[in-house]
Amino acid sequence: MAASISGYTFSSVCYHSANSNSDHEGFLLGEVRQEETISISDTQISSAELLQVVEVHNHEPCAQLFSFYNYAGLVNEENLNKILKERRKNVIGWYRFRRNTQQQMSFREQIIHKQLTQLLGVPDLVFLLFSFISTANNSTHALEYVLFRPSRRYNQRVTLSIPNLGNTSQQEYKVSSVPNTSLNYAKVIKEHGAEFFDKDGVMKDIRTIFQVYSALQDKVQAVCGEVEQSERVKEKVQQEVNKLKQQIALRKQKNAEEERRILEAQNPEPLPTPEENTEPPETSLLSLVAFNTPSTPERPGPSANPPAYADLLSLQDNSLLPSSSSPTSAALLPRPQAVGSPGHPSPNPMGLGLGLSVGSSPAPSPSTPYLGNGDGSSSDSLDRQAAGQEDEDEDEDEDSSEYENLVSEVAQLPPVTINVLAQGRPASLSPDGDASARGSQT
Amino acid sequence: MSPEVALNRISPELRPLLCSVVRNGRVGLDSTNCLRITDLKTGCTSLTPGPCCDRFKLHIPYAGETLKWDIIFNAQDPELPPDFIFGEDAEFLPEPSELPHLVQWDAEDPECLLQLVKELIQQYHQYQCHRLRESSRLLFEYDSLLEDPDYGRSLEIYAGHKNSWTGEFSARFLLKLPVDFSNIPVYLLKDTALDPGEDVALLFVSFEDAEATQVFPKLYLSPSIEHALGGSSALHIPAFPSGGCLIDYVPQVCQLLTNKVQYVIQGYHKRREYIAAFLSHFGMGVVEYDAEGFTKLTLLLMWKDFCVLVHVDLPLYFPRDQPTLTFQSVYHFTSSGQLYSQVQKSYPYSPRWDGNEMAKRAQPQPKIPNNRQ
Repeated sequence: MAASISGYTFSSVCYHSANSNSDHEGFLLGEVRQEETISISDTQISSAELLQVVEVHNHEPCAQLFSFYNYAGLVNEENLNKILKERRKNVIGWYRFRRNTQQQMSFREQIIHKQLTQLLGVPDLVFLLFSFISTANNSTHALEYVLFRPSRRYNQRVTLSIPNLGNTSQQEYKVSSVPNTSLNYAKVIKEHGAEFFDKDGVMKDIRTIFQVYSALQDKVQAVCGEVEQSERVKEKVQQEVNKLKQQIALRKQKNAEEERRILEAQNPEPLPTPEENTEPPETSLLSLVAFNTPSTPERPGPSANPPAYADLLSLQDNSLLPSSSSPTSAALLPRPQAVGSPGHPSPNPMGLGLGLSVGSSPAPSPSTPYLGNGDGSSSDSLDRQAAGQEDEDEDEDEDSSEYENLVSEVAQLPPVTINVLAQGRPASLSPDGDASARGSQT
Repeated sequence: MSPEVALNRISPELRPLLCSVVRNGRVGLDSTNCLRITDLKTGCTSLTPGPCCDRFKLHIPYAGETLKWDIIFNAQDPELPPDFIFGEDAEFLPEPSELPHLVQWDAEDPECLLQLVKELIQQYHQYQCHRLRESSRLLFEYDSLLEDPDYGRSLEIYAGHKNSWTGEFSARFLLKLPVDFSNIPVYLLKDTALDPGEDVALLFVSFEDAEATQVFPKLYLSPSIEHALGGSSALHIPAFPSGGCLIDYVPQVCQLLTNKVQYVIQGYHKRREYIAAFLSHFGMGVVEYDAEGFTKLTLLLMWKDFCVLVHVDLPLYFPRDQPTLTFQSVYHFTSSGQLYSQVQKSYPYSPRWDGNEMAKRAQPQPKIPNNRQ
């Protein structure tokens, strides 16, 4: 059993007692509750501990001794009711103050206690004994208090704790669970409470702060979306750049060959041998390349970057990628929900954030999953360059002067080339001619 | 703390109550120890001018122990009855209906507190007897004594606290022995002014264990009786027989005591007889004799013009023990300045003779002339 009394009640009882010129007694009002503590440890599943907590909220002093009992110690119920009136049901114990006596229940106190236990119907009625000890020369006075529960045979003494009294090592002020039962206090709080609390009983400041928080979160989410967008754009542009680089290389090669041919044409050779037929296969190949055959020259040579793994996957199955969660999370931060905020469902940090369109959040949810490496590195997955997208990239402002010339030349490329290129890709990529998905190899 | 000091510190309204307790208060069998008051404290604020003490500790002798009870009054409400804390006997809770002086407390009656304490002691005695039920052996002792009308009425029991370490239970019995001391010659009971109480003999039996294997009896006599019977060394009661019980032992002790008393009484009479016989034999030669206790007799005898003083000393257990005759010269001094004297013990004597016979037989002594000659 544990017991606690608020500081102001305790000081009030002491005040009444110390100011009386004889012994003093009264009743303690409050409540008793059961606290159950369930502890789980490795050694046992769970253990429940029941603790009875007695809380003293208030006290009712008696004006004089023998006010509710007679010389024989017989309690008079009528007088008891006169003293307690309607507070009778709140009685959890009684107290007595006597100076310079032992901390032990006296003969009459025991008799009265037994009767009170029966009359008030409180089986665990407590008895608080105050004892004021003064030294012989009145230099030191000690106020001692002991809480008894005489219904028990053993362990009759219960520790009475007074919060915020005693332990000065604790810096913070502990708020006790003892409620303030003062009527005046309740009235004032009711009157002025509307300025601080809204209709749900939540403090207004909390709501305001939460709104600020929500706004900030929205902005963050928006920025996330923009970042994602710009990343994609950047990626596309990067691809374009790579492609253009290739084309440049290709063209250079073409030009070189043409020049050579021209040179050769200008210097006629008396060798109309069928060897000429052997050469032109090469040149014809090249020419073919220039016009029609896209497959071979378009094979990514050693100069080109090796294809990114994500690109390989994307060629096989577009649907594999949406299941990866890490790129998703980079694009969209999960939103921690604030406590007490109504209408916000609990957060799910996984990829579902994409799918959730939470009330106020204008987070962009792109329909296509993010397919890049995430770091903007170049990739040759031309599959992503679906019809129409390439045209849009033309409007991107790439500052590199190297590509300025190519812009118009790229436009000159027949779009047919691209489709052919796309079709030819799978065969060129797999050295063993196997065009099956290689998704599980890493 | 002397009673007077205590009374001075008590609040004036409570003083009469305490007077009777302190001055005349005797409760229980042991009336030689009176009630004592210590630890006077006050229940008023320290600023209250004194004397205002209203709570104290009362020491009550009971069954060989001393009970220390706290009595709590309120000086501001002196008409209210007191409260009690029964010291270590935390379980002693008397029924208020058995305490008429509490239920009808009258602060005007100075004897009220004393009577209340007596009633509490009675209740305490019953409580202790109830506690004896923990040991069937001791309960049997108690019941057997209770049945005997001689002992049952004046009995005090103290059932000691069980020794929680060894689980031992002890008890103390205090009995008043029904021995008649009224015939003891008054002269033996010296200083009656100092000890106006009753002459009692109390037998204190201490049982150190529940099976009555360690029993220690002790006899307590009021001081005058003790003196009359020859001092504390004169009385040795037999040890408690192992396996015996009180109902057999106590009558034994009673008998012993009674015999002793009888012997003392008889001795007195015998001595008186002896002196009387000597007086009649040596009438003119008697110098002086103890007319109260009859323990001494001095004769001046002549033998052939030789005068001699004869001192006769009668011991306490006279007929058994031979009187001593001391011859003292009236003429000669010894070197140390004393009168020359000679002690004579070997003369015909028998305890069975009567006084006359003794006086006659004491005569044929050399140097002691018969004054009839």
